[in-house]
Amino acid sequence: MSTHTTNHHVEDPDVVGSRNRLGVILILVADIAFALSVLFVYFYLKGQNVNDMWLPKATEDTAAVLPLSSSGAWIVTALAGVGLLSHGSALRAAKAKQNSQLVLGSLVALVLSIGAIAYQLNLIFSVNFVMGMGSYYSCYMLIAWLNVVHLALTVFISLGNWNRARLNLYAKDHWHVAIVNVWWIWMFVSSGLGAFALSFT
Amino acid sequence: MTTTLNRPSASAHSAPKRALIERLNIFTALALGVISAVVVWRLALQFLPQDSEEAIFFNREDKITLLSMIAWFIGFMVGIGALIGPFRWVMGKDLSHDENMFYAGKDLGVKRYFRYTTDHKVVGIQYLVVTVVIFFIGGVLAMLIRTNLGNPEGGWIHPQAYNAIVGTHGIVMIVATIIMVTGPFGNFIMPIMIGARDMAFPRLNALSLWLIVAAAAPILWGLAIGGISTGWTAYNPLASQAPLGQNGYIMFICIFAISTMVAGANITTTVIRMRAKGMTWNRTPIFIYGVVASVALALPAFPVFFLSQIMSAMDRAIGTSFYDAQHGGSGWLYENLFWLMGHPEVYVILIPAVAALMEMAPVFTRNPLFSFNLAVIGIAGISGLSALVWAHHMYMSGWAPLLNIPFMLTTELISIPTGMLFLVLIGTLWRGRLWVTMPMASVFALLWNFMIGGVTGIYLSDIPADAFLHGSMYVTAHFHYTLMGAGLTGAIAALVFWFPKMTGRIFDAKLSWISFWMVQIGFQIAFIGMFLVGLAGQPRRVEGYAETFNTGNMVTTGGAYLIMAGMLVLLYALIHSWMNGEKASMNPWHSKTLEWTVANPIPLENFDVLPTVTTDAYGYGKEIR
Repeated sequence: MSTHTTNHHVEDPDVVGSRNRLGVILILVADIAFALSVLFVYFYLKGQNVNDMWLPKATEDTAAVLPLSSSGAWIVTALAGVGLLSHGSALRAAKAKQNSQLVLGSLVALVLSIGAIAYQLNLIFSVNFVMGMGSYYSCYMLIAWLNVVHLALTVFISLGNWNRARLNLYAKDHWHVAIVNVWWIWMFVSSGLGAFALSFT
Repeated sequence: MTTTLNRPSASAHSAPKRALIERLNIFTALALGVISAVVVWRLALQFLPQDSEEAIFFNREDKITLLSMIAWFIGFMVGIGALIGPFRWVMGKDLSHDENMFYAGKDLGVKRYFRYTTDHKVVGIQYLVVTVVIFFIGGVLAMLIRTNLGNPEGGWIHPQAYNAIVGTHGIVMIVATIIMVTGPFGNFIMPIMIGARDMAFPRLNALSLWLIVAAAAPILWGLAIGGISTGWTAYNPLASQAPLGQNGYIMFICIFAISTMVAGANITTTVIRMRAKGMTWNRTPIFIYGVVASVALALPAFPVFFLSQIMSAMDRAIGTSFYDAQHGGSGWLYENLFWLMGHPEVYVILIPAVAALMEMAPVFTRNPLFSFNLAVIGIAGISGLSALVWAHHMYMSGWAPLLNIPFMLTTELISIPTGMLFLVLIGTLWRGRLWVTMPMASVFALLWNFMIGGVTGIYLSDIPADAFLHGSMYVTAHFHYTLMGAGLTGAIAALVFWFPKMTGRIFDAKLSWISFWMVQIGFQIAFIGMFLVGLAGQPRRVEGYAETFNTGNMVTTGGAYLIMAGMLVLLYALIHSWMNGEKASMNPWHSKTLEWTVANPIPLENFDVLPTVTTDAYGYGKEIR
């Protein structure tokens, strides 16, 4: 995330900042391709319903496998949404050079990201997943763990963002806060896409 | 390659902040990687529960193997120092100027090649060495395959080991060919060619290189525990049931995919934002277009492959059912995900190699590049269409037969932009005043090999012909003509062409010619022989074959040995020229692109004053060189 290059020559912070933002957006292109592929997997296997094993029906020996509620995924998305709003307020504060509000907004965003990941992990470990439960449960796990990875990165980035705000390192320019905001937007969208998919069982 | 630097003060070197950075290098990375893997392996053996009775395809050993490989990866990356930058950012202790200079390798001499060095020139050299090593490993495996196929009843290699060798050869060579141009030359040459002082993200640049080094261990580890018995495609559910070595493939691809994504974002940002003043898109060298098209294609394609392997690992290790039809999965799902990456990947390999030759053709013909715009349109056309052809690999799989004809059409359409690139090269050669060097001869070799590879590809894109030819040695010969005959030929030419700038020495011309002819003649013998046995029906990836294919296989094996000899000559020439070659002048080829305007050795930041570009790079007249 550092804006420093190896150059002796000093560059305009806006030039470096916009370049860094483009780099992050391009990395997000890869992550977006990944997330869309996950959705493709979900809807492909749901549509194929191979051997009627998307959600296996009851047999003489086993009970029917029931879908999980998507409400948990939507709650995670809501937490991410509030976190995005909070980070957005931090970004506005950074632009207005109001450091205390920047620190507060960053801290709230960090706490929400920690809350979201804790809730997501709780959702995962409350599912009694065993082999043979059909491809729905496999896809559910895939989407849930994708969320965990995104949230873990969000916690890491938000921690740094809050700490740097606390140390008043954003006094000169707000590019890092703006770039973190790009990540928060994508985090919210990807979480929402996952919740959207899980609403169709 | 050396850089001109001023030595920092002794006090700067002994600053306590830099102590950790100074200690980390490839040896600490290897040590930490191995220790992490062993510790996690022991812990997993101790604490992971035994499999349940219902476990069919997944097992405890897969979990242990994957966890150990992940531990290796994390340990290696920590040990090389890849995580220092991000953690320093989080702590709010950004790297100082001195520390950034240290990362850039300033005053470190040869040690900087064994560290997480950020200078793009060092990364380019590291990529070159890594590429040569990977090709060497892949080449040894190729010779094992061909030697074994010298006998119709199979040879001295156990069929299971033969499968592992074929699979490993395939994926190792694919990775080597993906990085062979964009790695060494995209990193070393490209920033100077556009008039930049470094890449946009120097630390990401080093990260992309060291990720590839980290990825090498799992695939070699995999060879020792059963290998890749599935071929490089690793189709599921076959891969879910393959030996433990398959986990090496999975980890290798996952790590390599991250490297590709990072490199793609870095190179694209560099070209978009850091071109010299006056270097409009019309004045940007065609090689840059080739590199950007390649990485831009890889950027969305490799995550799909990454996902396919994560799901493969989950199927193997925790019993999910993405690919297991008995439990609701689908083998076609894997095939789609794989080839969504797999076909663009062919052009990820080819485009930069062809673009490198298009860069060289004007230099050695003293002609302007024939129709720059056509070349750009051709590259863009291939890139765009390559995302719409993946299912031609699946005609015979039974997936969506109604889509076969649309995919046949898109595949055949791709020959139009490919033809444009041929036209550009031939137009540039036309009435040129040829300076017959080995890179120049490589342009002719590419035209010949790519023509054969392309025309045979049209047959394979045709559904009725593919029904007969798919899965045969004909397919193997076809893609070797494109990836090796065209791609590798372009990469070797690029090596000889840019060698003076990268090392300050001239590549031995006599040895380069000897190697060129041995490889090209051996190549025609080997793969025309392979076309013939393929047409006659010999299946690929099979250790034994009927007597009727004996002659063709003997010819192919003979050709392969000639290629091997030529490659060894090339390797010797590379080492010899690097160590003892004639000192190169600043611009031995009298080329007009920016990289030839900087002195040898190249200063750390390339340009003291950034250049301003006023014309394109192809303004050659017919003057005497």
